[in-house]
Amino acid sequence: MKLRKATFSVLGLAAALVAAACGGTATNNPATQSGTLTVWLMNGSAPQSVVDGVNADFKAKYPNVTVNVEIQQWGEIGTKLDTAFAGGSPPDVIELGNTLVAKYAAAGALEDISGKKSSFDNSGTWLQSLTDSCSVSGKLYCVPYYAGSRAIIYRKDFFTAANVQPPDSMDGLLTVGQKLMTAHSSDPNFSALYFPGKYWYAALPFVWDFGGDIATQSGGKWQGSLNSSSSQQGLTKLNSLVAALSRADKTGDEAKQDAAFAQGHIAMIIANGWEVGVITDPKAGDPSLKDKLGAFPIPSHTAGQTAPVFLGGSDLGIAAKSTHRDLANEWVATFTNNKHMTEMATVGGVIPNNTSMLNLGTGINATFYGAAKNSKFVPNSQNWASVENANVLPDMLVKIFTKQQAIPDATASASTRITTLLNGGG
Amino acid sequence: MGLAITAPDLESAPRRPGRVRTNLLPYALISPSVAVIAGILAFPLGMLVWLSLQHYGLRELIAHAGDWVGAGNYLRILADPLFHQVILRTLLFTLVCVALTVSLSTLIALLLLKVRQAVRIIVMSALVFVWTTPVIVSVDIWQWMFDYEFGVINYLLTQLHVGNFIHHNWFDDPIQGWSVFVVIVVWGAIPFVTITLFAGLLQVPSDVVDAAHVDGAGAWQRFWFVTAPMLKPIFLIVTCLSTIWDFGVFTQIYVMLNARPSADYYTIAIYAYRESFGVTQYGLGAAIAVVLVLVLVVVTFFYVRETVKVAEIA
Repeated sequence: MKLRKATFSVLGLAAALVAAACGGTATNNPATQSGTLTVWLMNGSAPQSVVDGVNADFKAKYPNVTVNVEIQQWGEIGTKLDTAFAGGSPPDVIELGNTLVAKYAAAGALEDISGKKSSFDNSGTWLQSLTDSCSVSGKLYCVPYYAGSRAIIYRKDFFTAANVQPPDSMDGLLTVGQKLMTAHSSDPNFSALYFPGKYWYAALPFVWDFGGDIATQSGGKWQGSLNSSSSQQGLTKLNSLVAALSRADKTGDEAKQDAAFAQGHIAMIIANGWEVGVITDPKAGDPSLKDKLGAFPIPSHTAGQTAPVFLGGSDLGIAAKSTHRDLANEWVATFTNNKHMTEMATVGGVIPNNTSMLNLGTGINATFYGAAKNSKFVPNSQNWASVENANVLPDMLVKIFTKQQAIPDATASASTRITTLLNGGG
Repeated sequence: MGLAITAPDLESAPRRPGRVRTNLLPYALISPSVAVIAGILAFPLGMLVWLSLQHYGLRELIAHAGDWVGAGNYLRILADPLFHQVILRTLLFTLVCVALTVSLSTLIALLLLKVRQAVRIIVMSALVFVWTTPVIVSVDIWQWMFDYEFGVINYLLTQLHVGNFIHHNWFDDPIQGWSVFVVIVVWGAIPFVTITLFAGLLQVPSDVVDAAHVDGAGAWQRFWFVTAPMLKPIFLIVTCLSTIWDFGVFTQIYVMLNARPSADYYTIAIYAYRESFGVTQYGLGAAIAVVLVLVLVVVTFFYVRETVKVAEIA
């Protein structure tokens, strides 16, 4: 028995030492820290050269730490995250779409990093919408990573041939579109503005521009508001644009819009800045379009102004169950430091996580950077992900565009569902 | 479900003291199978039932502890009109698919008996090809074929002057959309059923069929009164299996509609998945899955009973 006890205590001591070595704090000597850090990044978020650079810098400081960067696909990421967080050893660092953070933070999956905010470069000038997406009940659960905002990408050559200019109002958009449709009336596949039916990110600017919203909060309760008269006004405007200018699939999503645009039968799409790269990609798109593309902000119904756009983007969270939280924190700080964030903007072409770098957007990118300044966000609720996963907005848009339901009916049932889901119902 | 385990016949064994040990042998022999079935079927099913009695959201999932709600989840789905719709739709879809699969497969199997060896090899190879293609791959190809903009189906139908199918959306109208899914599911199910039935047909003694022919029975009568009864066990098994597969159809619809099917295209399996993973209500999703299993038990009960009867006669 004595022997066994002794063995146990030796084992216990060894375990304690191992634990100390793995979960060591930042104050320890970096050179002695070891372990493997698992990082999940989303497909297409950071160019490989940037990731390699970050890992090289990290390796220089922590020579005995191995970093595994695993690229995830957007398609079923919700399911994958749920199961990863439920398991005993989730990835240490996770890139999360900014609409998903609240759900995981509220469920206790992410570490509260409020106390470490100052360890990240530019944390004083982080984009407000992204910071909001990281904040739940006044606590910080992630680091803003990058943003994306949409504008209209158009074919300059089509505009010149039809003798039209980028419009400065929604009515102007319709007029310009109609002129383009007339100029291409012999092409049965032509769309002046290609708008797939489920493209809800691109529908939101129309709702917001008329003063509508997805939901409003008062007294801790959410109330769906897509059925408000201003929301309906915006959707009516969008519906008339789609009916007159788009031959896109009314039940399809935007996944194929860049490939379709590259086919040459489309004059305008509502897209992110990085989609220019997909359109002109030698394999998936048409490189000869490079000089024929321009961009302008989605115009407001008030002439001379622009419509607020949805600020998409990603944040970087650290798993609460991670055994290397300090190392994870350090990796995130390296990834988002001045040097690498600048690369993200210049090489990756995404909008950086802070306002002090917004001047980095040049050429066509400047339009998208500008759009980020007039941006809005979805209801910041832990239950928003349920609204997204239940396809409430895409289904509503499809019903409207295919005329299965009138706008008042479609918006009323969507609003009811949103109210239920945001307040925690199924 | 389909297991007919008869207890060892103790009566006929010579009754001698000290033989009790030997009588345990059959149980010992079957125990590994029982253990495996319990491990891979009974345990997960038990867990599913247990989960269905709890409120189990993301927070509970991460903390590994749910809130007990008893029959709450069941009461909620039973009160949901969408759920009733989904069940009826899934049953109807299964009925159509199984009927088409079995009847078309029977016709192809009968045809295979009549054709030359070379043709038979070609047809069989084609069937095996279909069978071995992974579902995801084939559905991806079907998706491109039915694509709204680039699809070859729309192109061909337009070229053949069937109508103007330029920019025709097959999934606008649920009736058309479901017809497409029937085609895809039946297409994928035919190889297995055809090859199984063909193997069965080869076992039907030709002298019996010939005798019926001599007695003046027509082609239909020979099939219905001679061949079909002999194939009954095989028909029962393929119908039963097809019912189970078609009732749980998920991949074809989910992949075809880019993982975002609208409520018009929910089958019970998709509905359970959406409630579990989409809205992170794992308890509710589990309750739907339990109902799926129960409905399937009721639907397949008839087949299983018949199969067991046939097996006992044999």
